[in-house]
Amino acid sequence: MLVLSRRVGESVVIGDGSPEAVTVTVLEVRGDVVRIGIDAPRSVAVHRAELLAELADANAEAASPTPDAVASLTEALRTRK
Amino acid sequence: MSGTATMTRMDIPVIELAHPMPGFPDDGRFALVRLDEDGVLLGFRSLDSADLQFVVVPPAPFYPDYAPEIGDDVVSELGIEEAAAGEVLVLLVVHAGATLAETTVNLRAPLVVNPATRKASQVILDDTDLPLAAPLVA
Repeated sequence: MLVLSRRVGESVVIGDGSPEAVTVTVLEVRGDVVRIGIDAPRSVAVHRAELLAELADANAEAASPTPDAVASLTEALRTRK
Repeated sequence: MSGTATMTRMDIPVIELAHPMPGFPDDGRFALVRLDEDGVLLGFRSLDSADLQFVVVPPAPFYPDYAPEIGDDVVSELGIEEAAAGEVLVLLVVHAGATLAETTVNLRAPLVVNPATRKASQVILDDTDLPLAAPLVA
């Protein structure tokens, strides 16, 4: 991992020049909270790491229910009407 | 195998994901199959892994007010034309619980499918109020 020290208002640029590059700017540091600004092209998705991890967990839990679970869900929805 | 015997394929043969679903980096090609007679429960079945399937549902019967805002990046990735935007399918990933009451859907990251281009993406919405696990039925 590359580790850099940056002051408030300073940036790092990831990638080669605009429009493809991603610019990350330190906006504010208050205690243990750092606000960063990310300027990225639309094709680059930017997400909080923990949200992606939570979504991966949610997907893993949802994946491949047993035929029995699908059958009972089908039945439960059918009788609900 | 009782649950699989009645499946029939819908008229979208192969759907390609613009990005893999988080947690499933190796699965890029899927097919939508019908899991019940009403066409409410659908199977989003991987064509790259033998056993991977997600159960998905349209939101309307469960969350009639659900109207996610899809960003321009997704519109362009899935090749959504403005005139055909009404054809785009929004589907919720279901986590089947032991009972209906314990069954949840993911409102934060719906599956968006464009039948015109057969491209899809699990879109992470910006609205932080939307839960990853909301009850399927209230």
